[in-house]
Amino acid sequence: MTMILLENVSVKLEGFELNIDKLEVGEGEYLAVLGGSGVGKTLLLYTIAGLIKPYAGRVYIGSIDVTDYPPEKRKVSLVPQDYALFPHMTVIDNISYGLRIRGVPRSVAYEKAKYLARLLRIEEILDRKPDTLSGGEKQRVALARALAVDPKVMLLDEPFNALDPELQMEGLKFLKSLRSKLEFTAIHVTHNIMEALFISDKVGYMAKGKLVGVFGREEFLQTKYSEPYVDLVENLYRELK
Amino acid sequence: MKNPAVKASTFEYITISLSALLLFFIIAPLVSLFMEANPSISVEMIRNQEVINAIEVSLEASILSVTILTVMGVPLAYILARRDFPGKQLVEAFVDLPLVMPHAVAGIMILAAFGSRGLLGGYLQDLGLIIEDNFKGIVIVMAFVSIPLLVDTVKVGFQLIGSSLESVARTLGASEWKAFTTITLPLSFKHILAGALLGWARGLSEVGALLVVAYYPKTVNILILEYLSVYGLKYAATLSAIYALIVLSIFIALRKVASK
Repeated sequence: MTMILLENVSVKLEGFELNIDKLEVGEGEYLAVLGGSGVGKTLLLYTIAGLIKPYAGRVYIGSIDVTDYPPEKRKVSLVPQDYALFPHMTVIDNISYGLRIRGVPRSVAYEKAKYLARLLRIEEILDRKPDTLSGGEKQRVALARALAVDPKVMLLDEPFNALDPELQMEGLKFLKSLRSKLEFTAIHVTHNIMEALFISDKVGYMAKGKLVGVFGREEFLQTKYSEPYVDLVENLYRELK
Repeated sequence: MKNPAVKASTFEYITISLSALLLFFIIAPLVSLFMEANPSISVEMIRNQEVINAIEVSLEASILSVTILTVMGVPLAYILARRDFPGKQLVEAFVDLPLVMPHAVAGIMILAAFGSRGLLGGYLQDLGLIIEDNFKGIVIVMAFVSIPLLVDTVKVGFQLIGSSLESVARTLGASEWKAFTTITLPLSFKHILAGALLGWARGLSEVGALLVVAYYPKTVNILILEYLSVYGLKYAATLSAIYALIVLSIFIALRKVASK
């Protein structure tokens, strides 16, 4: 079953234009979208989330046309690049925010938050404020907060960008194990090919505001779009030698 | 080679000297005011009904004006912080207009627009809003001159928060209104309070536009000018000192609340 479908979507923002002819993501599928800076990856996520409205085309989530739906009606969770944790709330209030805002009683919302905190191994920091957390902890809180509302789709915007390489690897492994437990549908945008290949089922490639194509992981490595990344690794290796 | 330590101390010497000079420029008139004030006249004044009425009018009008202004100014500050639209710079220029306008000119502008013979005066009169020599006129004048201080301060507060927190809140299920009240408003509370404080202080200090629009009921500023011309500096300074004490006490208390 198709979970996300974008058809002939065009978005304009501050002179930049994003054009997606077609993007299809199946239920439970994890799509990594690769591309350099400024190609429209974040804009793609914001369009799916309903934070920016396309001037043409349709967006479907779970076979429902949500093009005219506001973000709160789309059942889509966003984990932004800077995690955007609410600084005036504790970790448990951050995680349970989406449930509380929907009118779920505090005790029930806190139970769910505690369950997710155990799953993401952050139960020790539930009473702390975001400004006291490390980068890795912030990332897990942002993931727990996004998962708490049982979204149909998770949108992850360069979630490992703010982490050092060691934490990136740990975070990737953790996210992969979490995904196998919870089986959520996700679009994960990144400029890191290792990240994309490690965690995804499929790899999309974006350039100049367009989705060039969606490929299987091995298939992607055979395309010309993977060449700059492979060349970079080879050049670095040669330089080091 | 230059010695960075010498350079730093010269820099410190200049900055501290200039800062001290500026602080002296503020403190000297304040101290002089209290030295000029006469204690026995003070006691007499505190019992004077005209003075009590003027203090009441000033405080009530300034609090009412800043309350109305906050209700309307916070949404405007939010729009200016979050949205881009054609003519935005023009709107921002209009917001700052009362800051650059001479006070008497501001009074004439208000009179020309909202006075009983002004552009909208007829309609306002039908609604029972007469501003000349009227408490409502004082409120309007105070709100008008305070607009830039409140709106600009609150706008900076919203800009500092950024929009990504609201975006995440929206995807988690919050409506625009809920995202604003649960995320943006609590985070910008200090800026709103600071803006309201500045606006309130600005309203309290207004006299030029009030002379044009609403001489009566007398505010303290008007009364001080009257005392200066009728009784001389000692009386005017004594009333000024009493007023300064009241205003400074409220200002310091509110600043303490804002800094918590």
